[in-house]
Amino acid sequence: MHTFFQQTLNGLSLGSIYALLALGYTMVYGIIKLINFAHGDVYMLGAFWGYYVINTYHVNFLVALVSAMVVTALAGMLIEYLAYRPLRNSPRITALITAIGVSYFLENGMSFLFGANTRNFPQAITQHNYDVFGITVSNIQILILVTSLVLMVLLQLIIQKTKMGTAMRAVAVDPEAAALVGINPDHVISFTFGLGSALAGAGGVLIGLYYNSIDPLMGMTPGIKAFVAAVVGGIGSIPGAAIGGFLIGLLETATQAVGLSAYKDAAVYVVLIVILVLLPTGLLGKNVKEKV
Amino acid sequence: MTKAKVKVAAAWFALMLAGFILINVLVVVGVVDTFIENMLVTIGINIILATGLNIIIGFSGQFSLGHAGFMAIGAYATAIITSSLPTVLGFYVSMLVGIVISVIVAIIIGIPTLRLRGDYLAIATMGAAEIIRVVINNLKITNGAAGMYNIPPLAGWPTVYVMVCLTTIMLCNFAHSRSGRAVQAIREDEIAAEAVGIAPTKWKLAAFVLGASTAAIAGSLHAVYIQTITPTDFGIMNSVSLLIIVVLGGVGSMTGTFIAAIVLGVLDTVLQSFGTLRMVIYALALILIMVFKPSGLLGRYEWSFARFFTKKEASHE
Amino acid sequence: MSDLLTVSHVTKRFGGLDAVSDVSLHVAKGEIVALIGPNGAGKTTLFNMLTGVIQPTSGEITFAGTAVPGKKPATVAKLGIARTFQNIRLFAQLSVRDNLQAAMTHRYVEHFVPIVLRLPSFYRQEQVATEWTDQLLTAFDLTDVADMDAGNLPYGTQRRVEIARAVATAPEMIFLDEPAAGMNPEETAALRTLIQRLQSEFHLTVGLIEHDMTLVMSLAERIYVLDHGKLIGSGTPAEIQQDSAVVAAYLGGGVHA
Repeated sequence: MHTFFQQTLNGLSLGSIYALLALGYTMVYGIIKLINFAHGDVYMLGAFWGYYVINTYHVNFLVALVSAMVVTALAGMLIEYLAYRPLRNSPRITALITAIGVSYFLENGMSFLFGANTRNFPQAITQHNYDVFGITVSNIQILILVTSLVLMVLLQLIIQKTKMGTAMRAVAVDPEAAALVGINPDHVISFTFGLGSALAGAGGVLIGLYYNSIDPLMGMTPGIKAFVAAVVGGIGSIPGAAIGGFLIGLLETATQAVGLSAYKDAAVYVVLIVILVLLPTGLLGKNVKEKV
Repeated sequence: MTKAKVKVAAAWFALMLAGFILINVLVVVGVVDTFIENMLVTIGINIILATGLNIIIGFSGQFSLGHAGFMAIGAYATAIITSSLPTVLGFYVSMLVGIVISVIVAIIIGIPTLRLRGDYLAIATMGAAEIIRVVINNLKITNGAAGMYNIPPLAGWPTVYVMVCLTTIMLCNFAHSRSGRAVQAIREDEIAAEAVGIAPTKWKLAAFVLGASTAAIAGSLHAVYIQTITPTDFGIMNSVSLLIIVVLGGVGSMTGTFIAAIVLGVLDTVLQSFGTLRMVIYALALILIMVFKPSGLLGRYEWSFARFFTKKEASHE
Repeated sequence: MSDLLTVSHVTKRFGGLDAVSDVSLHVAKGEIVALIGPNGAGKTTLFNMLTGVIQPTSGEITFAGTAVPGKKPATVAKLGIARTFQNIRLFAQLSVRDNLQAAMTHRYVEHFVPIVLRLPSFYRQEQVATEWTDQLLTAFDLTDVADMDAGNLPYGTQRRVEIARAVATAPEMIFLDEPAAGMNPEETAALRTLIQRLQSEFHLTVGLIEHDMTLVMSLAERIYVLDHGKLIGSGTPAEIQQDSAVVAAYLGGGVHA
């Protein structure tokens, strides 16, 4: 029972990072139907920015987090403007290849500029372990969970309560109709990229703190896992992405806990395929049937 | 077979033969050294993989992102069988075994997942390929993460060349037949295809299985040519680079796939001297081509001797 | 004459709504039968059940002695039922010729080995298909556009290609879902001739959904009227025009053919 709660806590910490990333995938996909392959690399940019400001300016965690979110938001919007906007009316597979190109560019560009080696992320917060009913809880785990939950609530408020959020939902349902009622889809899409990238940037700083190490290719695997999480949750659905993220995090930790860590990735994909076969649009996705 | 058809077939055969002789001459006079031969073989193997993937993506319209998984099956079948049967016969037996396993796995993966649409299918096939890779990574017979080495060199560039020709003929003949029309009809409109009596699952599966079997052939060739394989050779990024060849050449154009595989193969070799910068340039080239030529280099264009001859005759009149 | 198609007590429920409710009808071989009714009356839903696209909640459908429910659309097509769609569904990036040949997929058999090795049997089969395609192209006046992509053709021609493609499956019965929608009077007149030829030349039984009452009244031998999922009338065109319930629900005062 003991290990169960311990592992659940670990799984939730990891899962919250996946959830933060999955939210970006799901928002972008919901609005322009693009698998933003470069999203995991935006998360890497966030981690590198955190590393840079903490090391150079010795700022505290909160400043690092917020500034990383601003920087990645700008990066995300820039990527959208330069690489994806010219392809708005192209086949979706073309946009996907471009996204892969952007991903390669960011990974290799960072390797070229700063070296491909792994770095130690500075300890902006000293780790303390607390013993709660026999479970070891670190302050960093609490920080990750609290920060992610706060960000998710904020996101939900932005989407549900603000004018921009309403516009986002409108464009996701029908971009042409949204344009007819005076919404500028370019602004909305740009905003969506900014929002999603900010969450990824936050995830990058948090993972740096949690795992202590960062490198230019760190975004690849979590990026794909987070996309899987978004698909499992039902792509396009915000709560779905959050649930999917936590689910994948828990699943990975669980496979490790039962001694099958070599198969943890396979387990994620088996669950993915089983869920898609049973629920072709994920847990919370809407099944839109084509009209005959 | 009419006279015109004989003429077209003869023209294709002459082209293939000319290519073979050309490479042979270049090898003899020393223009093609080991380095360039390596590049040519890599291009050839990529052509086999990408034309098969183009049947799945371009013709049947099913977005598969797991092609490297089937390549892995072929490569490991060959590595394992030739380790105890290191002869040319052993190689061809292993290739057949690889194809058979690939076909079985493709059916197992395809039946549940091919009902999914678009990106969902992409992510499911990607997951399936990763499962194959993780399994290979943990089996004893495949020597786990260390991979397999000292695979006997049972195929040189001539074998690869002949296999490129054979698989291309097979895939193009499939594409230009009743079967090709059926899978293209599904790509265009699944509901209408069903209404005219084309069973979507059956035909999608046919294209998927065909693509998987050619990928296994490519895997076998890769194993005996490179002589060392590890599970990381068959990851998601390898499936992605095959997808890039297909899209860059033009989805649905076999000619385009050939050209894209050659362009990227040469580009990769030329850029090798640039070190880390190589992938940066590669990535930029990819983005720029897609932004300025979204339908790929050739779009849906297909080179055809039949059309060429008809045009020539028309211009003579 | 025996009935080719019988529908007895068919109901389709979507959620709490009966889109089609307890409908029974029959079509004899060689007839042209129209199904009319206001928008949302359940006409297309009924067509979709007849062609296997959706399954009825209850009731029976028999075509040439075989039960239709439970079969997939592709299987239903092989039984000899073809259809066109309300919003044209062509294989847009394929040529007109390939559109027709794709519809022959189940009619002639090519095996994998003869295909990839181009054995003589492949060429024989292709020959049969090509000849048949040429006949259809001529019959539907499509020879000039045979090698053009179907998606690039004008609207009226696309309708014709869609009907030709349905005929290419060699059906016994063809369902046309609002074939005259969006057509001008000349195109509609040509369509009338075409549908009559389906009956006389191709010996097909025709099921027609159409809002153009002039067309329906001049073509159909019998008419069924659907309203709110229920059959509210049936008979010859003359009878339908006299039927007060039908007139009240749909035809209104002003329509006389």
